Amino acid sequence: MADPGTTPAPQAAERAAAGNPLLAAVLAWLVPGAGHLLLRRPRRALLFFVLVVVSLVIGCRLNGNLYTPLPGQPLTYLATVGCMGMGLPYFLLRYLFGYHGDVVAAGYEYGTAFVLTAGLMNLLLVLDAWDIAVGKKD
Amino acid sequence: MLSHFLLMVVYSLLVSVFFTALWRRDRKEQRKLFLQLFLGMVVGGLVVAWLMYPFPPGPPAPIP
Repeated sequence: MADPGTTPAPQAAERAAAGNPLLAAVLAWLVPGAGHLLLRRPRRALLFFVLVVVSLVIGCRLNGNLYTPLPGQPLTYLATVGCMGMGLPYFLLRYLFGYHGDVVAAGYEYGTAFVLTAGLMNLLLVLDAWDIAVGKKD
Repeated sequence: MLSHFLLMVVYSLLVSVFFTALWRRDRKEQRKLFLQLFLGMVVGGLVVAWLMYPFPPGPPAPIP
């Protein structure tokens, strides 16, 4: 246990001042990589943004499913939460561009995997941004 | 774009880079983890495909 009278190590002090965890998490959810950008990790933010967007674009090009809850199919609720993990792009695709996927397209199953992966990756980024903001991670 | 193998490689690449950037900071460790994840997914996928090869394909899935 650290002596309460001593000055914290520089690294610990730097970590503690990382930022507002709630704001970082909300931003990270809304726009992939934005949470890391807020926490002054621009290179990682750019990389994560590119990865999530590329995954989403490939998924949409293959006509993958952008899930919505279907009555009587409980797994679609889970999949919807996974897809909504991508934040703003989910709502833009669904309500601005009217995208929903095409079940008879040849790439439907693969596309769905890519779309779901984009959402799940962004959910992990939300948790990562939170951890960085509270000082649990570098 | 619809090559199964190409899609598997692209998917493995995206996921491997993502988890490498998320979990590791040191360059050497990043390289090691990336190779483990990427090769694990691609080679693992090929092995599973090879094991499934003798089984006949089933009927097409019904369209919901």
